[in-house]
Amino acid sequence: MLKWAIRELLFSPQQLFANIAAVAGAFALVLFFEGIFAGESRQIVAMIDHTEADVWVMQKGVGNMHMATSFVADWKIDRVKNVKGVKKVTPILYLSSAIEAGGSNWFSFVVGLEAGDPRAGPWKHAGGAQLPAAGTAVVPDIFASDAGLKIGDTVRIIGRDFTISGFSSETFSMANSVTYVTLADLADAMSSLGIVSYMLVDADAGVAPQELAARIMDEVEGVNVLTRDDFIRRDYSIAYQMGLEIVWMMTVIGGILAVLLTGFIIYAHIAERERELAMMKALGVRNLAIYGATMVQAFTIGALALCLAIAAILLAIPLTEWLMPKVSLAMTMDALLKTAGLAFGVCLIASVLPVMRVLSVDPVTAFQQ
Amino acid sequence: MIWLAWQNSLLRPGRTLLIILAVAAILAEILALEGFLAGSYWQLRQAVLQRGDAVIVAQSGITNFFATRSILPQQARSQVEAVSGVVSTHPLTALAAIYESGSLRSPLIVLAYDDSGGPRQIETGRLPSETGDIVVDLSLAKKFALDLGDRLTLSDYDFTIVGFARGETALFTPFAFTNFDTLIDFYFNSDLASDIAAFPLLSFLVVDIIPDANAQEMADQISAHVAGVTAIPIETMARHDEKLGQELLGPILNLLLGLSYGVGALAIGLFTFAAVRGRRKSFGVLRALGFSVVDIGLSVTFEAVAWAIAAIPVGIVFAMAIARLIEALAPGYLLLVTEPKALIQTALIAMVLGVLGALLPLRMLIQLDPASAFKD
Repeated sequence: MLKWAIRELLFSPQQLFANIAAVAGAFALVLFFEGIFAGESRQIVAMIDHTEADVWVMQKGVGNMHMATSFVADWKIDRVKNVKGVKKVTPILYLSSAIEAGGSNWFSFVVGLEAGDPRAGPWKHAGGAQLPAAGTAVVPDIFASDAGLKIGDTVRIIGRDFTISGFSSETFSMANSVTYVTLADLADAMSSLGIVSYMLVDADAGVAPQELAARIMDEVEGVNVLTRDDFIRRDYSIAYQMGLEIVWMMTVIGGILAVLLTGFIIYAHIAERERELAMMKALGVRNLAIYGATMVQAFTIGALALCLAIAAILLAIPLTEWLMPKVSLAMTMDALLKTAGLAFGVCLIASVLPVMRVLSVDPVTAFQQ
Repeated sequence: MIWLAWQNSLLRPGRTLLIILAVAAILAEILALEGFLAGSYWQLRQAVLQRGDAVIVAQSGITNFFATRSILPQQARSQVEAVSGVVSTHPLTALAAIYESGSLRSPLIVLAYDDSGGPRQIETGRLPSETGDIVVDLSLAKKFALDLGDRLTLSDYDFTIVGFARGETALFTPFAFTNFDTLIDFYFNSDLASDIAAFPLLSFLVVDIIPDANAQEMADQISAHVAGVTAIPIETMARHDEKLGQELLGPILNLLLGLSYGVGALAIGLFTFAAVRGRRKSFGVLRALGFSVVDIGLSVTFEAVAWAIAAIPVGIVFAMAIARLIEALAPGYLLLVTEPKALIQTALIAMVLGVLGALLPLRMLIQLDPASAFKD
């Protein structure tokens, strides 16, 4: 039976290639969607993740950065500094806004940093100044290359021009890029003097972030305090709604499409051999052997298609980074396993169904045509 | 030949149906993505256009309504009204917030308005008139199961929901509307009180101009005469916001769309290719019966076009079902799956690829020995 299965598979190499290519295309699409979802999920909370503050302090009632406005009077910085277990407090002013450069508008997190303090600044430097000085901005390298911006060019933030003095890396994502200016400049542009948006708090060695967050909440009025993990979780939930959700939905729809296409191809491949299967049954071949032979064919198509899809994605990752740097793509083991499970599940069902139908009829019918 | 194509399709109706369904599923996926993009851009445009008809005034240098922070000086209103050709101005203040209830969160844009610039269509309830009143978009109501009279709490301030608006969502963010008395009350009686200095009192001015005046000329005149403001036609600001949406969503979703087209084209072509190749014996019989290669080629072409034509309406129905499902799962999303441009583009691709797939095995048909039909 194994010999028959292989012979039948190789009977029409063009047909086999067409089947494998179609299934591979469908699964490559799912893997690509999943890759974008994974890449953007990682990138969308990159700032909170990479700055690695133990605790974040913000306006009461605020619990995230995406789409949020947080204003805290700056006298509260000293109150936080005085809390036991606080090693360092780094205030930032923040604005989520459209910024204009090179004739285009981008959606960006604009972060105002205290002059000369790198604590909340770019975590990866990509050229020029590492930190913004008065009247200048440090912008994401991807953003700059896309808009054709170089050092000395201008970006416009809430109606005010800033000269680009440096580039940061890993600070670009679909929902936001991160642009750095000085706190004083941003406060001036926002007419928000005496105000900060967030405080990044580093804890003394041995102090648990949860414990410190609770202590700050108790001792400083009118603020919300979150640990880094909580802040990431909450911000992700909003960022997810701001664009990632549709990528996830399209991944599900792409998955359904892949299931349909794979199911159709495997079903059609086996169904074309119904007469031969009926003859085998009439000649006394055991049902198990017939099921086994068809499954070998289905799983071979599925496995080869999956390998081709994975190869396509592995090729697509560097290619996408090179051609479309704005898109973050990542392949996770979880996505691979899920897709592989889906592929083999569909192959199993689609190969068993036509065989069940053949085995349920009288084998004599195979000779009647 | 059409008759032959018809007979061929009916020969194995199950397989024909499967091909049509598979092609329809591919079309549906593409139409859903196209519809999502079209819907998102439409919402962004409408969010601005629903505020007024002529000109909008923002802080100097601000040319977007969405995702920006505009603060106008208080005296700007009287200065704009003094410009010749201006009939009246209507203040608007925009405040970005996150509404949270239980484990659910949603971004929200609160718009305070006076006598114009509020919700265009009230589905149920009434416009805000008392202090504390708020009108929210239906998508927020659906997501949080809110009813008229319910409390909506932001920064420890309780608003009372008095109405639900329709079509007031943009970029996954529902809008809420209140009056200026409520905004002031909110600023002073919420948690924001100690940090109020940074919050805007006036963000935009919607300007009515004299009939027949040119909006662009009026905008230029206002920008020239009033310091610290930028005035632009509302239509232009709507286009800017749409462009911002394209910058935000375009890179990823256009890539996904391009891939969907590519994989869809591959699949449609391969389906028809496989279907034609799988009928070598039948074609051998036809050749033996005297049908020429051109006859058979035309027949498979008609068949492929017929499959595509049959798949298009099914695909549209599937796409509409996907759209309804997504809109139900994520209130606020809008998928315009029947946009003519996307429909025509997708239908043409399905037909062209189907025909190409059907004609690819033409060489096989030309070389087909009629005697092969009787060899098995």
